[in-house]
Amino acid sequence: MSELLETGMAPAGDFAPARSLWRRIEPAVLGAGSIVVLLLLWELLPQLVTLQAGTKMLFTTPSKIAVTLWNMIVTGKLWAPLSVSGTGFVVGLLLSVLVGLPLGVVLGRSRTLNAMFDPFVTAFNATPRLVFLPLLMLWFGLGVTAKVVIVFIGALFPILINTYEGVRNADRGLINVVRSFGGSEWDVARLVVVPNALPYIVAGLRLAIGRAILGVVVAEFFGAEDGLGVIMVQAASRYQVDVVFAGLIVFAVLSLIMTGLVKLLENRLGGWRPQRTGGE
Amino acid sequence: MEIVPTPAQEADSGEAPRRSFAARHRDKLLGILAVVLFFAAWQAIFLVVPFNKLFISKPDLIVLGLIDLIKSGALLRDLAVSAIPFICGMALATVVGVALGIVMGWRRRVGLALDPLMTVFYASPLVALSPLIVVYFGVGFGAKILIIFFLSVFPFIFNAYAGVRAVDPLLINVVRSMGGREIDLYLKVLMPSVLPYIVAGARIAIGRALIGVLVGEFFAASEGIGYAIARFGDLYALDKMFACILVIMVIAVAMTEGIRWAERTAFPWRAQ
Repeated sequence: MSELLETGMAPAGDFAPARSLWRRIEPAVLGAGSIVVLLLLWELLPQLVTLQAGTKMLFTTPSKIAVTLWNMIVTGKLWAPLSVSGTGFVVGLLLSVLVGLPLGVVLGRSRTLNAMFDPFVTAFNATPRLVFLPLLMLWFGLGVTAKVVIVFIGALFPILINTYEGVRNADRGLINVVRSFGGSEWDVARLVVVPNALPYIVAGLRLAIGRAILGVVVAEFFGAEDGLGVIMVQAASRYQVDVVFAGLIVFAVLSLIMTGLVKLLENRLGGWRPQRTGGE
Repeated sequence: MEIVPTPAQEADSGEAPRRSFAARHRDKLLGILAVVLFFAAWQAIFLVVPFNKLFISKPDLIVLGLIDLIKSGALLRDLAVSAIPFICGMALATVVGVALGIVMGWRRRVGLALDPLMTVFYASPLVALSPLIVVYFGVGFGAKILIIFFLSVFPFIFNAYAGVRAVDPLLINVVRSMGGREIDLYLKVLMPSVLPYIVAGARIAIGRALIGVLVGEFFAASEGIGYAIARFGDLYALDKMFACILVIMVIAVAMTEGIRWAERTAFPWRAQ
């Protein structure tokens, strides 16, 4: 939106500079303003309306959350559970890339294999991964393995489906050129198919990150003995609302940072983005 | 696949070089073959590997468990219990999300103001708030609906928002210059343009709403399909647990593919 406004405004000399400056900063001001207003309202709510004693116990303000979060960072209480959650996240995501990428390339290149895998991909992609959690807990216990598997299943399909779409979208002419010069299927994949699919794969990675974080959170809520999600559930049962919100903020910030980094990578790889993305 | 080619299809294929039934439905047949092979292999592997029914189940036992669940009426009861908050939460998310998204798209300043806020909400794993929702609203209907609502409202907001912004300004100007009223704009320009986006949003929202149902029931419930899966897990009744998982998979596929089908039929110009 903002770059659209700027390109519209820059060459036009009719507009007063003050107005064009306002137009340029308007999105930032309005966007940040709404967040600030919401936070202020939340902060001042206890002063504006008197809360009942019961509600007061379950109520927290942004300043209290910030103090709690700061304390968790300073005392180091955050890092141990966060590293447990992070391990599950990283291992699951890595596995999903290691499996999803080659499988996506193979399914994109072979119509027969794709037809055979399609029912499974459709079924597992449509089903919320959470249904498998009780089963995975039965199989793997409360350790990191069940978490890794949940993250893996969640993140696999955006990567697999996007890789597949990118491979299918490869230029037939280029593939034929590689073939005519005696290139093998490996050469086709290396020289044409994968480079062409790269923007799709990165877009899939962005979706996968969101799903992987969701997977970590739900796995830790229901089937883990360690991790940031576990801390949050325990805090909720002790009515430490500020700790729950602090945990949420940590997860949200991590998610925003990682998707932001991948978005930068996406912009580097080309100004265009695939229309079709996997599931979510 | 007992699909017999209709006369129309016969006539169609008469023009092109004639292909056999197997060739025309090759992909579908291969898919069915793969699924059949998968279940057959699952059944057969326990002829070699020792079978431990506390660890894994077999297709024949799963089918028996499923029949048992259907006969006793437990499955239907659990599904009905889960369906009500699902429908209520989705309905609420549709109404609120579409309204908010349309306002954000139609009023430029509202869009600018709310876009970053909604992005932050959308990017943060809101499931993380579900323990709090359970603490606030107790174990029951209200908590479930809220969890489902929070998870599924954002696809509606963002898709309605994108849909309005994709409206052709030329069409708006045409309606205005022909003397159309505000209501004409909404009904004749806005709705047809936004509707495909909303349906696409619904497809994403359904998946998230299903997560909401399961989260709500794993946390705090005494009935429902999610609770049934968790309970059968605790009881080591793996045949019934697998049966419930398969039922949820079938429902999830039916709903998302149903919406995909509706998208293709109702808005064929958007088919990818």
